[in-house]
Amino acid sequence: MRWPAFLRLSPRWAPYVFISPFLLLFAVFGVFPLLFSLYLAFQSWEPTSGLDAMEYVGLANFAFALEDEWFWKSLKNTAWLALASGVPQHLVAIPLAVFIHTSFKRLRDGVIGAYFLPYITSTVAIAIMFSSLFSTDFGLVNAGLQALFGIDNIDWLGKPENIKPAIAFIVFWRYIGFNMVLYLAALQTIPKDLYEAATMDGAGRLQQFFHITLPSLKPMIFFGVTLSVIGGLQLFEEPFILTGGKGGADQSAMTSAVYLYRMAFDFNDFGGASAMSWLLFVVVALMTWLTNRAFRPRGQS
Amino acid sequence: MTSAAPWPRHRRALLAAGLACALPVCAAARRKLTVAAFPLLDEIVKAALPRWQRLHPDVEVQVVSRQYADHHTAMTTALSTSVYLPDVMALESSYVGRFSQGGGLQDLAQPPYQIDRFRSRFVPYAYDQAINRRGAVVAVPTDIGPGTLLYRVDLLAKAGLAEADLTPSWEAYVDAGIKLKTATGAYLISNAQAVKDIVIRSGLKPGEGLYFDQDSRVLVNSPRFVRAFELARKVRRHKLDARVSAWSNEWAEGFKRGTLATDLSGAWMVGQMANWVAPGTKGLWRAAQLPAQTFVSYGGSFYAIPRRATPENKALAWELIQLLTLDRDLQFAAFKSQDAFPALLETLDDPFFEQPLPFLGGQPARMLWREAARKITATQVHKQANFADEVIGTELDNVLDHGKDIGRALADAERLLARRAHR
Amino acid sequence: MTRERLAPWAAYCIVGAGALIMLAPFYFMFVFATQSRANIFNLPPPLWFGDDLLANLKILTERLPFWRNLGWSLYVALASTALTLLFCSMGGYAFALMEFRFKKALFTLVMATMLLPSFMSMIPTFMIMDALGWIDQHRALYIPGAASAFGIFLMRQFAATAVPKELVEAARMDGCGEFAIYWRIVLPLLKPALGTLGLITFIASWNNFIGPLIVMRSLDNYTLPLALRTLQSPVNTEWGALMTGSAIATIPLLILFAVSSRQLIAGLTAGAVK
Repeated sequence: MRWPAFLRLSPRWAPYVFISPFLLLFAVFGVFPLLFSLYLAFQSWEPTSGLDAMEYVGLANFAFALEDEWFWKSLKNTAWLALASGVPQHLVAIPLAVFIHTSFKRLRDGVIGAYFLPYITSTVAIAIMFSSLFSTDFGLVNAGLQALFGIDNIDWLGKPENIKPAIAFIVFWRYIGFNMVLYLAALQTIPKDLYEAATMDGAGRLQQFFHITLPSLKPMIFFGVTLSVIGGLQLFEEPFILTGGKGGADQSAMTSAVYLYRMAFDFNDFGGASAMSWLLFVVVALMTWLTNRAFRPRGQS
Repeated sequence: MTSAAPWPRHRRALLAAGLACALPVCAAARRKLTVAAFPLLDEIVKAALPRWQRLHPDVEVQVVSRQYADHHTAMTTALSTSVYLPDVMALESSYVGRFSQGGGLQDLAQPPYQIDRFRSRFVPYAYDQAINRRGAVVAVPTDIGPGTLLYRVDLLAKAGLAEADLTPSWEAYVDAGIKLKTATGAYLISNAQAVKDIVIRSGLKPGEGLYFDQDSRVLVNSPRFVRAFELARKVRRHKLDARVSAWSNEWAEGFKRGTLATDLSGAWMVGQMANWVAPGTKGLWRAAQLPAQTFVSYGGSFYAIPRRATPENKALAWELIQLLTLDRDLQFAAFKSQDAFPALLETLDDPFFEQPLPFLGGQPARMLWREAARKITATQVHKQANFADEVIGTELDNVLDHGKDIGRALADAERLLARRAHR
Repeated sequence: MTRERLAPWAAYCIVGAGALIMLAPFYFMFVFATQSRANIFNLPPPLWFGDDLLANLKILTERLPFWRNLGWSLYVALASTALTLLFCSMGGYAFALMEFRFKKALFTLVMATMLLPSFMSMIPTFMIMDALGWIDQHRALYIPGAASAFGIFLMRQFAATAVPKELVEAARMDGCGEFAIYWRIVLPLLKPALGTLGLITFIASWNNFIGPLIVMRSLDNYTLPLALRTLQSPVNTEWGALMTGSAIATIPLLILFAVSSRQLIAGLTAGAVK
């Protein structure tokens, strides 16, 4: 259908028209909360007293955050969980994807589906399931461990040193399929003749993996790792719901995001929470930038 | 685009007539009150609505119910922006402290509410719990949770013990636990933390909160806490606690199987046990007052009116609250249906309290709880009390699991709390 | 030679075992959905289906307007997906293939918002919703999400690689209008990414509970995750009914996934590869 001439969009204005719906929503629902929380970071605010109860306190909230033991504790917890759940995801997803790519023909969709399934479950359902599975005396994890390896019941959710691995496992379980699918997709774009040429040159499977597969996967690794870094540093739902919103014994599952939530809604300290969220933002931005530098494919800005 | 034909004349006339009829109806339209609550308080409110309708047929009441924690988060949000405030806000006792310190809730001691007229009609501590530091009464109690000691009379008998061995003092309680463990193998308590929780609540001086005093000075490095920590450590050293967390599967199973011999909780625990935690142990439990003449409360619910709620509705909201909290029949109905122990003093004289409780082997335990309710004293809840709870809990874990020295643990806790005391 | 032949078998076993571990929690969710609260916490836990499904359903439908909540979840998820696909594809196309002022700065700003945790915007979002009069309205759930930073990111990446600039230029020179280019040329080329983003958006909307927690006020209007949470209380969680509700809530997602999995895999590629 051809629009009448005066209605036709000129290429000059087209970009603005195309991005305007998104930008409008973004300005209202994305930027305003951002600015509000920036403003709030400089205020002392006890929320139940209403908006007019805000008091300007300058950098006091930031100073408090930087001296707060729990803030640093939560950062350490976050870093640990991000690494413990993130690194295995990629270390396992790549070989897994390679294996499925080369070896599964008939059952491939089924296997991919099975691995991807955890990603689509709601965190509430996951937390309920895993609370039950990790139960000390009644959980199937312990029952399995005892049957297979003869290990005594481990108190997964009660002891600080055990909660972390349990949550790391749950996050790993949730996202391994997602990353595997990413890598599978990337593998499909590597030309087969590269491998054929290498085989003819006498290169073994392992050599081909390290010299052909891995370098070709670099852009996808960059994408996947970036998502994992951002997601890992903002980890909230799994630790929150699994520990009933508290962060667990010795706060060992209290990630920065969980701590922020508690600052705001348990300790009613919104100013402090906002300041911390901005500090966290700086950390995440820094980590994202570092990831960018480390993995950036040549020639992409 | 096709142009729409103008409405036929007779249709327009009908519309105008309809609007004209609607106007007077609009003027006399039903008023609406919103009550925000959580399960199972929402059922209690709904059960009271027929009575309300008879008194105010033109006022509709809408009950908005959210999950317990979600409800309080939503209330924080609503209070923070002063919009979409409910007319009546239900609050659980552990949240009242937080909400009362800010200025978001209406001071009911002011005219036209003047709740102090009714002060004598409520269980004293429940009324006091809703008084904030500036003397404002921000909420009305509707149900309470008098603390009680529940024990397995059969396990005690097996160890040659009786109730009187448990109750004289906390030290006696723990010593009895040692005998219990040796004779029956059953644990004294689910977790040593429970012992710490209750011992720190005994021996409070007037004007002292649990962790902070009125001037926000930190109180944790004191004999009261040292004693609590020492008792908890003794419990752990003698392996008297099952090391399970409350409400977990292991905890419930402990009751079912009789590996937990006592419990320190609110009176409502009996109902929970009978319903689903351990119905098979009916008749084997008895209730007693908490050891060492300690009288504390475990939970309780309140109703409050947000200060910035719709002004025209506030008077009606106050009437609804009065109905829910001061009406003997409604308080009783809530007790019978939801096991909500009344906060209204005059209900406590009812012969219902002398009835035997089958789960407790026929013991008329309500009389005990009635007495306890009258003796509990309220403590000021500091804004950072939640945080303090956790810090102390973590330090106790350090003492119990990692052998940390009690003095150092309390000093570390004091340091952490001092930094936050004035936020 | 033998090493090469053994290794695949071991690998098959490991991958197979891994798949079972992935599926196990689902299996148990469905098993627990058919068990009563008391049975779920037995030792050992039930490994096979029980016969309390109807009893659980009864509790579920008595405590909640469950089917209504399910309907609302469906409505919000579909609306959210449609809007997000439209706005993000338009925006991604513009960012990838058009030039305009502040393009880079704008994109960086959009990416930056991905770094703020969602609950930090709880209160300002509440304020906005009230100002717009959208409290307790479902549009408050699907409209804001259409400005998804992840969506724009994905669309831009994909458009940059899947849509050849020359094609667009040629169409323009042929006198094709901008909207026509978008609708008839660009959009079909973006299909795999649309499938992927659609699936991810649907899932996110379906499982979202913080958004509804802020703006929904009546149980009749709740979406599923929020409604199911009302079955949880510190003291008295209805585990059986909760599992049943959660299991039923997962079924539409499973169906959707089964239908669109091939699209998904195709769509997560290309844009991220280059």
